[in-house]
Amino acid sequence: MSGKVGKRESGKATARETIARLVKAEPLNAVLHWSHELLDAEAARVDAMGAPGALAAMPIALKDNIVTVEQPTTCASRILEGYVSPYNATVVDRLRAAGAMIAAKTNLDEFAMGSSTEHSAFGRVKNPHDPSRVPGGSSGGSAALVAAGVVPAALGSETGGSVRQPASFCGVVGVKPSYGRVSRYGLVAFGSSLDCVSVFGRTVDDASRVLSTISGPDPFDATTVNRPPMRVPKPLADLRGLTFGLPREYFPTDLDAGVAAALRHTADRIRQVGGEVREVSLPNSSYAVPTYYIIAPAEAAANLARYDGVRYGPGHIGSEGDIRALYRITRGEGFGEEVRRRILVGTYVLSAGYYDAYYRKAQRVRALIAEDFRQLFDAGVDLLLTPTTPTPAFKAGEKTEDPVAMYLADVFVCSMSLAGLPALSLPVGRSEGLPVGAQLVAPHFEEERMLAVAGVLEQNLDAGAEVR
Amino acid sequence: MSIGRDEVLHVAKLAELAVRESELHRLVDNLNRIVNYVAALDEVPADRIAEPYLAGPQSVALREDVEAAMPLARPPASMAPEFAGGFYLVPRHGAMEDQ
Repeated sequence: MSGKVGKRESGKATARETIARLVKAEPLNAVLHWSHELLDAEAARVDAMGAPGALAAMPIALKDNIVTVEQPTTCASRILEGYVSPYNATVVDRLRAAGAMIAAKTNLDEFAMGSSTEHSAFGRVKNPHDPSRVPGGSSGGSAALVAAGVVPAALGSETGGSVRQPASFCGVVGVKPSYGRVSRYGLVAFGSSLDCVSVFGRTVDDASRVLSTISGPDPFDATTVNRPPMRVPKPLADLRGLTFGLPREYFPTDLDAGVAAALRHTADRIRQVGGEVREVSLPNSSYAVPTYYIIAPAEAAANLARYDGVRYGPGHIGSEGDIRALYRITRGEGFGEEVRRRILVGTYVLSAGYYDAYYRKAQRVRALIAEDFRQLFDAGVDLLLTPTTPTPAFKAGEKTEDPVAMYLADVFVCSMSLAGLPALSLPVGRSEGLPVGAQLVAPHFEEERMLAVAGVLEQNLDAGAEVR
Repeated sequence: MSIGRDEVLHVAKLAELAVRESELHRLVDNLNRIVNYVAALDEVPADRIAEPYLAGPQSVALREDVEAAMPLARPPASMAPEFAGGFYLVPRHGAMEDQ
C-alpha cells in the first residue's frame, strides 16, 4: 500500500489499486460515495504535482460529514441526501496540497450520533473481522475501510470517542487530537464544544503523517489554536523516563476478560521497555457518560436546528401548509430515530425549568472531570493507559433497543472528549479473534509524545496475536 | 423524574419535530430511560461543584475583529439556474401565480 516517506508512488497506479479494493470491499457497506472518474482526476492531479508532498499519492477516505465540492455530503441522513457543498473543508485542501488523493466518502451513524454505525440512513456497516458484528461508531465506515486494507488512512470525527472506539473494534490506529488542534471548517457541526476532526491509520506512522498534515491554525476556524502544526514524531528507542498511569476506574471487575488480559500484557511490555507503570485515580470518571449525554444532545439540538426544509433539507410541505408544518414534517421525516431522540433530549435539558438542573450542572461536572486529568498530569504522570472499550466489537442489533446500553459502549472514551485532551487507540492483541485496543491519553498538545510512545508499543506488541 | 406523553409532545413542538402516534410510546420510554440515567449527576455533592467548563485550553483566543475574504470553491454563478451582473435572477413578483 501507498505511503512510505521518500518514495514517490504513481497516482495512476495507486488509483487503479484503490478502485479494485473499493469494489472488493463493497459488501462492508462502508462507502457512501466514490467513482472511477473522481479517483482518476485525483490521480492526474497528484501526478502533475511538481513535488510529491508529504502524503505522495496516499489514498485517503473521508467520513461523509466532511464537506467536499466534487461529491455529496449526506452525514448518512435522508435530510441531506444529494446535498453538495459549495466549498471544501480545510482538512481536504490540506490533504490535497500534501499530495493525498481523496478516495471515497464513508458511511457513519447519522450526523455522527451513534456507537455502532447502525444508525445510518443508508444501512449498517459491517466489521471486516466478523460481518455479524459492528465496526463501532460513529466513524465506522472509515475504520472498516482502513481495517480492510482499502486505504492506509482515513479521516473521521470525534465528539465523544467516535474514532477511538471504532479503531479499537476494527484493529486500527485511531487518533483524536487536542480540541483546537485541527480546523473544523467544513466539518458538519454536532457538538461544537467537543467536535474534533480525527484520524485513522493502519500504522502509527500513517496516522502521524496525516495528523501532521491537517493540524495547525486556520483563519476560517476561530477555535483553532495558534500553534504550529504537529510534527511527525521522531522514533523513540524505548520508554525510559516515562510514567504511565493506569486509572483504577477504567479497570472494573466486570471488564471483559480478553480486554483485561490485553491491557495487562500491554502494561508488562511498557515495563519491559523501560516505562514506569503506576495505578492512579480519576475519581469523577463515573459521571462522564451522563455528563456527555446532556452536553452533546443539547449542542446537537442547537446545531441541527438549521435543517428545516428551507436552508437545508427537502422541504416537505404538509397538508397544514404553514411554515411550522414545513419545519416539523421535514425534520420529523428527514431525521432518523437516534437523531430525533437526541434532539428531543437536548431540547428537554435546555428548556425552561430544566436548564440549571441538567445543562448548567453538566458543564460544572465537566470541569471536575477535566480537573481530575490536570491533577494527574501535574503530579508527574506523562500518559494514561486504559482500555479503549469495555468489550471487543459487539453483535449487530445487540444494543439498538436500549439507547443507554449503546451509550455505555463509550464509557472509556467520553472523558477525554469532555476535557479536550488528545488520546489514541492502538491495537494491542486479539480476544477470540477480535481486535482489542488500548488507549493512551496525553496532556493538551502533547500529541507528538503520545504518538512516539504508540510507535514504541506498536513495535513491541503483536496486535494480531491472541492474548490470554 | 418521569416524562409523560404530553411532555414529549411539548418538547417535540419546541424542537420543531413531527412525532407519529405510532412511535410515541417508544419515545416516552426511551426518553425516560435517558433522563433517569443522566440524573446520576444529582449524586455529585454540591461542595464539589466547580465553575462551568469552557471548551478548549486557555490559548483558544477570539479571532481578530476584521473582515476578510472567504473565497468560495465554486463561482456563485454555478449555484443557481440564472446569474447575471453579480445577481441571481428570480421570477418576476407575481409571475408564479400567473402560471
